[in-house]
Amino acid sequence: MAAPFGEVEVADEPPLPTGVPLATVQGRSPWYLAGLRLRRNKVSLGFGVLFIAIVLLCLAAPLWADHVAHTTPDANHITDTIDVGGQQVDIVSPDGTPIGPGLRGQYLLGADQNGRDVMVRLLYGGRTSLFIGVVSAAITTIVAVVVGLLCGYYRGWIDAILSRVMDVVWAFPVLLLGIALGTALAVGGLSLGFTTIAGDSVWIPILIIGLVYVPYMARPIRGEILALREKEFVEAAVAQGKGSLRIMITELLPNVVSTIIVFFTLNIANDMLLESALSFLGAGVRPPSASWGTMIADGYQTIYTAPHLTIIPGLMIVLTVLSLNVFGDGLRDALDPRAKIRLEH
Amino acid sequence: MFRFVARRLTGMIAVLFAISVIVFLIFNVIPNSNPAIRIAGKNANPELIARVSSDLGLDQPIWVQYLTLMKKIFTGTLTSYASAQNVTDQIWRGLPATLSLTIGAAVLWMVLAVVFGYLSAIHSGKFTDRALTILSLVGISMPVFWLAAILLYFLTFKVQLFPTSSYVPLTTDPLRWASHLILPWLTLAVLYVGFYSRVLRSNMLDVMNEDYVRTARAKGLPERQVRIRHVLRNSMIPIVTLFGLDFGAVVGGGAILTETVFNINGVGLYAGRAIGSLDLPPLVGVTMFGAFFIVFFNTVVDILYAFLDPRIRLGEAAPA
Amino acid sequence: MTKMRKAVTATVVAALTTFGVAACGGDTGDSSSGAGGTGTGDVNVTMTSFPDYVDPQLSYTVEGWETLYNVYTPLLTYKHAKGEDGTTVVPGLAEAMPQVSPDGKTYKLKLRSNMKYSDGTPIKASDFTYAIQRLFKANSGGSVFYETIVGAKDYAGGTANTISGIVTDDATGDITINLTEPNGTFDSILGLTFAAPVPPTTPLDKDATNNPPPASGPFMISNVQAPQTMTLERNPNFKSVKDAGATEVADAGVDKITITQNKSNTAQVTDIEQNRVDYMSDPPDADRLAEVKSRFADRFRMEESINTYYFWMNNEKAPFNDLRVRQAVNYAIDPEALNRVFGGRLHASQQILPPGMPGYQEFKLYPGPDLNKAKQLIAEANPADKDITVWTDDEPDRKRIGEYYHDVLSQLGFNATLKVISGDVYWATIGNQSTPDLDTGFGDWFQDFPHPDDFFRPLLNGASILPTNGNNYSRARFPELDAKMNELRTKQLEDPGVKDQYAALDKAYMEQAAWAPYGNEQYTTFLSERMDFDKSYRHLLFSQDFSSFAIK
Repeated sequence: MAAPFGEVEVADEPPLPTGVPLATVQGRSPWYLAGLRLRRNKVSLGFGVLFIAIVLLCLAAPLWADHVAHTTPDANHITDTIDVGGQQVDIVSPDGTPIGPGLRGQYLLGADQNGRDVMVRLLYGGRTSLFIGVVSAAITTIVAVVVGLLCGYYRGWIDAILSRVMDVVWAFPVLLLGIALGTALAVGGLSLGFTTIAGDSVWIPILIIGLVYVPYMARPIRGEILALREKEFVEAAVAQGKGSLRIMITELLPNVVSTIIVFFTLNIANDMLLESALSFLGAGVRPPSASWGTMIADGYQTIYTAPHLTIIPGLMIVLTVLSLNVFGDGLRDALDPRAKIRLEH
Repeated sequence: MFRFVARRLTGMIAVLFAISVIVFLIFNVIPNSNPAIRIAGKNANPELIARVSSDLGLDQPIWVQYLTLMKKIFTGTLTSYASAQNVTDQIWRGLPATLSLTIGAAVLWMVLAVVFGYLSAIHSGKFTDRALTILSLVGISMPVFWLAAILLYFLTFKVQLFPTSSYVPLTTDPLRWASHLILPWLTLAVLYVGFYSRVLRSNMLDVMNEDYVRTARAKGLPERQVRIRHVLRNSMIPIVTLFGLDFGAVVGGGAILTETVFNINGVGLYAGRAIGSLDLPPLVGVTMFGAFFIVFFNTVVDILYAFLDPRIRLGEAAPA
Repeated sequence: MTKMRKAVTATVVAALTTFGVAACGGDTGDSSSGAGGTGTGDVNVTMTSFPDYVDPQLSYTVEGWETLYNVYTPLLTYKHAKGEDGTTVVPGLAEAMPQVSPDGKTYKLKLRSNMKYSDGTPIKASDFTYAIQRLFKANSGGSVFYETIVGAKDYAGGTANTISGIVTDDATGDITINLTEPNGTFDSILGLTFAAPVPPTTPLDKDATNNPPPASGPFMISNVQAPQTMTLERNPNFKSVKDAGATEVADAGVDKITITQNKSNTAQVTDIEQNRVDYMSDPPDADRLAEVKSRFADRFRMEESINTYYFWMNNEKAPFNDLRVRQAVNYAIDPEALNRVFGGRLHASQQILPPGMPGYQEFKLYPGPDLNKAKQLIAEANPADKDITVWTDDEPDRKRIGEYYHDVLSQLGFNATLKVISGDVYWATIGNQSTPDLDTGFGDWFQDFPHPDDFFRPLLNGASILPTNGNNYSRARFPELDAKMNELRTKQLEDPGVKDQYAALDKAYMEQAAWAPYGNEQYTTFLSERMDFDKSYRHLLFSQDFSSFAIK
């Protein structure tokens, strides 16, 4: 793999005693150095671990639902009762008040007004929100890399056209574009020739969010590829007779991998925020499916009497997005301490 | 200079054209249902739908349909399916509220961002910096509507410091106008303060290592003057560009979340209500308006910025 | 730079000052500019859903009628009184109750003289005919009531240019209406806003929401910005109506009523508690109800309301075209669960007619909730099409009802999709035949006039399956029951045995499980401090009577 940073010796290794053969001195790869820098950044690592923990917790949703809460996220239990300290308590009282949080397996965080277990919904909602966030970030990354590579390598009219298209998409306020697409597609779904995606399928928000953020990633990647293209090793590869595709994949792509990793991480954060906004407005995940955004929309109706129904899902979003942001920052500092990589807002 | 302006303007027109094509695709081509049904309104019967179909020219080639839609938008005759009202009128009506919200929030976020970013940069690495960085990061990690709901709960209900209900026009009562807007201003500002203060901080840190700053110190200028006159001033330039983008985005529809939670009758709420009615014309109108506003605003900012940059004014190539 | 510092400082100071002043300014709420004294003042009203149409011939929702009751006066009107008293029909723009011929097929009325609309145009007898014509040409959901007028069907079908059965003389004000058969509901329907005269300048076949016709009641509509806000102001020419002798039409007690839409029920409750808004059209949502009941008992009361809440099921399409599936739904619904969603305001019932409606008799054909029996029926029916769309509107309690219903259907084995539509377009959307995937969904119906035909005809009669603005969402069509319904309408309610026959009709429809009704909802009145709580009342047919609004 090409290494633009060059081989570097770690400064804080103790000086070698004389007489030791020099062949045992090893160079460190940039990845190793980045890893060391990251390890030193305890705060970032901590938040990275937090993110993993949240993901694992949400992935464990079915376990919690089946073995601890004994219900599903959409099941209404309005007239049921549970055993609390020996007494049968209504999950939703006759005047409509749901049970509050308590230290027990069922309804750990209480119930909502439809008698649904908030903890179960929180975990399943997390799965949905995380799934949408990660998959759309993946889509954005793949499309942005392709566009960036094409623009940066070929330049000329390919670059001109693709860049203009990126500019145009960039001109749309992200949220409004998401809403416009979400509502337009809600009526009859999206027909892609070979298949039709239903209007309320979770793939609609995924595709929308994925496409909307492409310019934000494609432009910086394009910029880097443009710069890299001028370097000698590319000239050398061309002279060797390597095809364009091989050059893009084997020479250029590896050099932007660190950029891609950082952007991907930060993009997941943005995507989750966008998904929650779209779901809150009714243009993303549709009720009664749980996502952190729809839970906030539901909870907002009873904000004065049961604020925890609004606060908790929002807090989960904040924690998840914050961990991604801090960890992403840490990654960026570790991979490129000169902070060349900047995700354009 | 003139050439630069001319080029920017033609570029702007090209982008606006492309935007209109995309809007047309989103609303008339992509959806998998018959637009005539939706356009004929909620009181439509099959004869009316047939009439509307032929009016719209749905049997016509796509580019004719595109021109029909554009004509509707630009002559201000685009009407909502649900309420048969003119979309352009409604957008005009909502503009004062949205502008009140956005301008107020923008002032707040710029002032706070400058203060926080400045403090962060000059105390870089120390406690103040760390604390402000954490605050900024938390700020940009919060969903706007969630923050709005929390503020509503704590500051209008638990402690009745602010009113809950909607927008009061400036002309009706300036004091109530402001008091009804304080929470929305705060909500909208929090997100951007975090982001801008971080950008300013990193810009300032970059600039502080420049030679001319060292020269200024060597000249004997007091540190405060060095920081503000040289460092801060030069760090602000990229902020202004970003601000142009964001301000445009918020007016162009980014305010929808804040307006929905606080029930402010602006352009954003107008679009938000259209979602629940599956009413596409308001969304078409607001999307076009939003995108146009952003592009137009950015072009103006670019041109103004170019005025300030002597390299362009004196006729050299514009910075890429 | 000093300049910039000055600018920054100035901005910060300005911001802090505004902040400080505004915060201190506080908000003990003064929502009006007109101060006390009887008969004056400006009132602020909020609604969760804006009226469907601001058009007397088209509007058919609770919010619409609440607004229009005091704006458009028909020939006859309903007494402005509480409770059952308010369901009495009295003369409005007509001089007296109609003279009915012995065979019951001819109605004679005389319009009062020298009356003017709010814009100064004189009110003419032919304006009544114009209004009825609009019902048919503008595709009103209320047109189903007026079909028995001679010539109405021909006019609606386009084969005639006028309705031959209505003869008017503008000079004398005489109005003669000929019916094809006797009609025991005719007095009642003459009192509905559908029949309110409007000048011929009103568009004949189009919704007039954005430019409503001039008023003939105590209030006129001075501004409409659907669906956000509208304003009612005192009708300057209402005096002409009063002077002509219309004593039963109440006068306005305030100068101006501003109606604003607010999608958040809980914000509306807070606004009334803090006296920023004077009246909210909807009851406080379940979670605030207890608090309002206990802390604001001096300006809150529960109100009787005659309505039925149900789930409609499309009888024409699979899977609900199978009787067993419909019966299964009736077995599966738990009214107690729905009661809790409403915060305890629901009285459980499984009839078409609500208690308080003549002809009501209690019975329960599908005792339950019995999920097992329901599943059994579904298994027997074994519907091939299990993909269904469930519709509901976005008012907070309706949304929860929709989610509950979605869960019940899922438990019955259906693959259900929930669609939540904005409240101001919900009814028009599900009442429009061109809307795809109308399988089942939320429904409610409030009494229009105290006669069972009001419930059966628009909601269950086969002839009420209209292309738009239809109210027969279930597309129920049972010819023998339709015939019975039509036959019963020719009789008078007080005739012996008629009420029992209506009860039997109810049972017959429930045997066919045309719907899944589950209960009747109690309503509320919640006012701000400055409103005269005793004076203001909720009319049984038109919701809050705006003419009873007064500031203390």
